[in-house]
Amino acid sequence: MAQIFDRSSNALARASLVLTGLIVIALGVTLDQLQRSPWVTRQGQRADQPVPFSHKHHVEGLGLQCQYCHVSVEKSSYAGIPPTRTCMNCHSQIWTNANLLEPVRQSWATGESIVWTKVHDLPDFVYFSHEIHVNKGLGCSTCHGRVDEMPIMYEQNTLQMEWCLNCHRNPKVNLRPTSEIYNMAWKGASEMTPVWCSASDVKSGTPTAESVNCTTTDPNPGAGSSEQASLHLIPVVNAQTTDAPSSAQPAQTTSYTKFTSQEALGDFLVQHYNIRSPRDLSSCEVCHR
Amino acid sequence: MRDRGLEMGSAESQDMAKGNGSARLTLAEVRAKLAGQTGKKYWRSIDELAGTPEFEAALSQEFPQHSSEWIDPVSRRGFMKMMGASMALAGLAGCTKQPDEMIYPYVKAPEDLVLGKPVYFATAFPFPTGAIPVLVKSDAYRPIKVDGNPEHPITKGGSDPITQGTLLDLYDPDRSQHILHRGENGTWPVFQASFRSALADKKATGGEGLYFLSSTVTSPTLAAQWKKAQAAYPKAKLVQYDPVNRDSAYAASKAAFGDYADAQYKLDAADVIVTLDADFLSGAAQPGFHKLAKDYATRRKLESAGSGDYGMNRLYAVESMTTTTGLKADHRQALRASDIAGFAAALAAAVGVGSAPSGYTWSDDAQKFLTSVAKDLKANGGKSVVIPGEQQSVGVHLAAMAINDALGNVGKTVVYTETVNPLPSIQGDDLKSLVADLNAGKVEWLVILNANPVYSAPADLQFGDAMGKVKTVVHLGLHNDETGLLANWHINGTHYLEAWSDARAYDGTASVIQPMIDPLYAGHSAHEIVQSLLDNPDVSAYDAVRDTWKDKTGAKGTDADFGWRKALHDGFIADTAFAPKGGGGKASIPAPAAQAPADSLEIIFRPDPNVYDGRYANVGWLQEVPRPVTNLSWDNAALMSYATLEKLGVAEHDVIEVTLNGKKVLAPVLAVPGHADGSITLHLGHGRQAAGRVGSGVGFNAYQIRSSDSPLFATGATVKKTGDVWGFAVTKSHYQDHRSVAVGGDGSGTHSLEGNEAIDRGIIRYATLEEFKKHPQFAHEGEGKDVPEPTTSMFPSYRYDHNAWGMSIDMNSCVGCNACVVSCYAENNIAVVGKHQVTMGRIMQWIRVDTYYEGDLAAPRAHFQPMACQHCENAPCEQVCPVGATVHTPEGLNTMVYNRCVGTRYCSNNCPYKVRRFNFLLYSDYETESLKLMRNPDVSVRSRGVMEKCSYCVQRITATKIAADKENRLIRDGEIVTACQQACPTDAIVFGNINDGDSRVSKLKRQERSYGVLEDINTRPRTTYVAEVLNINTELAAARGEFAAENS
Repeated sequence: MAQIFDRSSNALARASLVLTGLIVIALGVTLDQLQRSPWVTRQGQRADQPVPFSHKHHVEGLGLQCQYCHVSVEKSSYAGIPPTRTCMNCHSQIWTNANLLEPVRQSWATGESIVWTKVHDLPDFVYFSHEIHVNKGLGCSTCHGRVDEMPIMYEQNTLQMEWCLNCHRNPKVNLRPTSEIYNMAWKGASEMTPVWCSASDVKSGTPTAESVNCTTTDPNPGAGSSEQASLHLIPVVNAQTTDAPSSAQPAQTTSYTKFTSQEALGDFLVQHYNIRSPRDLSSCEVCHR
Repeated sequence: MRDRGLEMGSAESQDMAKGNGSARLTLAEVRAKLAGQTGKKYWRSIDELAGTPEFEAALSQEFPQHSSEWIDPVSRRGFMKMMGASMALAGLAGCTKQPDEMIYPYVKAPEDLVLGKPVYFATAFPFPTGAIPVLVKSDAYRPIKVDGNPEHPITKGGSDPITQGTLLDLYDPDRSQHILHRGENGTWPVFQASFRSALADKKATGGEGLYFLSSTVTSPTLAAQWKKAQAAYPKAKLVQYDPVNRDSAYAASKAAFGDYADAQYKLDAADVIVTLDADFLSGAAQPGFHKLAKDYATRRKLESAGSGDYGMNRLYAVESMTTTTGLKADHRQALRASDIAGFAAALAAAVGVGSAPSGYTWSDDAQKFLTSVAKDLKANGGKSVVIPGEQQSVGVHLAAMAINDALGNVGKTVVYTETVNPLPSIQGDDLKSLVADLNAGKVEWLVILNANPVYSAPADLQFGDAMGKVKTVVHLGLHNDETGLLANWHINGTHYLEAWSDARAYDGTASVIQPMIDPLYAGHSAHEIVQSLLDNPDVSAYDAVRDTWKDKTGAKGTDADFGWRKALHDGFIADTAFAPKGGGGKASIPAPAAQAPADSLEIIFRPDPNVYDGRYANVGWLQEVPRPVTNLSWDNAALMSYATLEKLGVAEHDVIEVTLNGKKVLAPVLAVPGHADGSITLHLGHGRQAAGRVGSGVGFNAYQIRSSDSPLFATGATVKKTGDVWGFAVTKSHYQDHRSVAVGGDGSGTHSLEGNEAIDRGIIRYATLEEFKKHPQFAHEGEGKDVPEPTTSMFPSYRYDHNAWGMSIDMNSCVGCNACVVSCYAENNIAVVGKHQVTMGRIMQWIRVDTYYEGDLAAPRAHFQPMACQHCENAPCEQVCPVGATVHTPEGLNTMVYNRCVGTRYCSNNCPYKVRRFNFLLYSDYETESLKLMRNPDVSVRSRGVMEKCSYCVQRITATKIAADKENRLIRDGEIVTACQQACPTDAIVFGNINDGDSRVSKLKRQERSYGVLEDINTRPRTTYVAEVLNINTELAAARGEFAAENS
């Protein structure tokens, strides 16, 4: 009986084996990429909103502070979406006839909410708290990006679990002094933008913001470090920032340490802000219940 | 909440009945089995004790019958198709995209609101037996949890199942949502106009023909409004009627004092407590439950060690139906309800008041009990107390008053005060005269306020027919219930969390009831209706309540509202407690009726421990949570002793026809260990027809055979077997593990399996006070109580750097009231699964109260053990999860990651404590709008196919950690309170950091009586138990042969 398959089928069979393997791998890679793609994560997408609200205009242009609208960011897990009344505080006086603001006036007149589409939408099984992040030295821009440069709000980061864990496993890369939380332009400590910090005697029970003083200008000009200090070129918004109001004049008695790298600053803040260990922070129950 | 109104076909019921393993073992056989044994003997159900083949078979399964099977008929072909599709889609499921979510911000935000942070408001839950002061957790102004008010002198933070369940009552989707006039939608102004015009006509005749029928009036303001209305309409009548009422207590106090009075018991000062059918440890049905339970338990904590005098009280219980009070008692005597009046009189005679009733004979045990109790009482004059049962006759109350008076207890352990309810009355008599007036055609307007007499009035009064003779019937109620359906007007009522009112707690301290939320369905309260009678009909309940208390909530300095705001903030108005009346009254004990013949059959009517008189029948949590003692969920039953069972020739699950005074009701039979022989207890509150989607058609209606002459209990019943059987959802045989023989039990079935373990492996450890004094280490002595070294594990030990959460449960304090269970339902969004699912062992409760019985079937003891996830340091579940869905946290929590769970159920299989619960179906209600408002936003609502279990309230731990971290401090001891701990009326549960040696939980764990359950298998549970110590009367124990020498 003649052979059914020609000799060349051997090669074909081998090739098909390889091909199958490749297809499986390709499928896996595709799914993996799909899962991380903006289609799924919405990263960078500008959702249709009833009012094309511009953070750029309100923050950069007008200089509104974040908490003017997001009132509970330091107090609660929710940062808070402003009620219509907050819009009307100004817009009952200015731009009172603007077409763009019609939904706002409509809401104010009827008492119905303005229905926004959520831009930063965590899954419902994730329990995120703004409160603790903001109080422990994580700035708005770390997660939300340069909101002051966004004419239309979009999601800067994926907000996926791996992204959360990057920081929970190594929080020091993103920590900053709590006085710099709302500084959108914060870039971390470096040779060019050094940070001076002093820790008061850290006593248990002192809120985080009061236990550490940090400044981006040299608190002791004329001392050995003056040369470096005069060189620093930091954005004008950071001219003088200290944490506690009482320390507007940094006391000569407190000794400031100069940090020229985020690594060093991060280590210092992890210690003095009592940041929990990566083991604690990456435990499941921190975010899931 | 699916599946809950499930009706079962009879074939299925039969199957379930069989599957549930009805014991076909005769009483004599069981007793013989028990008798031959020495040592402590525990058992949890009669099947277990009997070792029936069904039970043995059930044990080999992880979950009870069929619970792991797909219950709907699915063909093999259909199954394959579905599996194929699931496999194909499984990989893609992870790639689904979240749908867009919307944000609906406020238009004008409330000023003080911080979204995401709960706010707490103090108010009170007006229960007919007195207000229960509560603290309500409100999230964005939606009440999401009701707990006892910790600052109130009565509750001190404790609560009870019903109080916890009122939250679901508020959000009940079946609440009446509209005013109805002859079945059509009506409006309040139209009703008011029609009511006012009728009133105008009646003004001339003084309101003749105007009748009000209200449930017990608890509000002083409502009483004041009524008194004004009465002045305007002198011939109008107000009748109060609740099917479970305080008629006996009021009648007794009227006889003794000439006026109605309430007795207040002070158990903190009592060394000896005797209850005469008074179930003061079960729930709010007993006035002052929270305070009584707390005071009782405080005297049993044994914390004042060192001096050798632990200050323990001793509890003697005489009761008919087995209750948690009886099972907690150091000594218990079961007597028919009709015998208790005679027993009380005999006890009085024995302590020197009155004369012993003639013609009464007592069993040998009862006689010994009587003698010992009398001796103990006499020895503790001024330090003892006798508590009569609310559901007992006037004679028992008078006897108790006389005994307390004779012993010098009045003023010390018992005081008499004004009544907590502002308009006390003998409700049974008033209802009878109302029905007479109805039948005589004297009633033109009948206004029914929050009562449901068509369902709950005694059957002989035929209230529904009598009501039909009235021209206009107005019904105000939360539900359009049986009465509302027959009324001309139905007005949707407000829940106590929605409206202003007031009420007095056990000691008379008044609380203002403040609304937590705008009425969900624009309801109206009784205040508004009664106010409609007056010249100023639109005075709001708020103004009326403020007016009532204006003298007590005065200004401070220039702040005119100070007193009022303080009252609202504190949850009570200071200095409004009643002053005790002088003296103990002149109680003369009436001669009890002749003892009922020994062969007569008695029916006892009792409120259901969960749904009370039926008003909470539509609260799924309360229907589903197994009743204490019987562990019966979703039903009521004819409860009787095993001897009665045998005498009547019926078996458990048989449906019997009970005939009493010519009225009949069909009831399924359930045996209760320790129930008095010759009597049957029927729980009221079931068999509702118009309760709603949950409560309608659950159980049978015992009101059908209740008569107005003997509403508490009645002799002369007859019973006929119908030949039908009924499937119960009894949970006590669930969650047993098959280990007994393997670990050295004798396997004979003589001891129960769990009983074997309970003793051999020390699940239950207890001693008498004498034994404890001799062997303080008793909880660690003997076989099976070894704790392996931590190094014996193959797995490396975890290290716990900062916090290590742990729990200690005091078995002495736990009274098995189930408050913790319902609290857990509310806190953790636990789903209600319905009777059919419960029968299959799919009940979702994270914490259960295990009852271990011990000793003779007719006179058992019991030990209550709350059992939830033990958070083992060496957890068997963690080691077998293939997907890491149950993991160990750095603080020692055994945590569930729902999103990782794929539903293999290996963890549950490997859990020795059987505390894991699996969502076999989609039990959580994702659709019903009103229930969404109720959920705790900090806890996931679980979906199908996910394992869940106690998390030690991780949401509360996390919230506290965030608060502490913000302030850079450690978490304070007692700062984290779990939901079960918060609800516990006796402080049996303590939670805290065991790494902190000074924490309360550490101290408790260091006690010599502290032990872990199944520690011998090296699970290292984080929850430990403090062993029970009984303060027995050695003389009585010796006389009755209890506590044989084995322990000493």
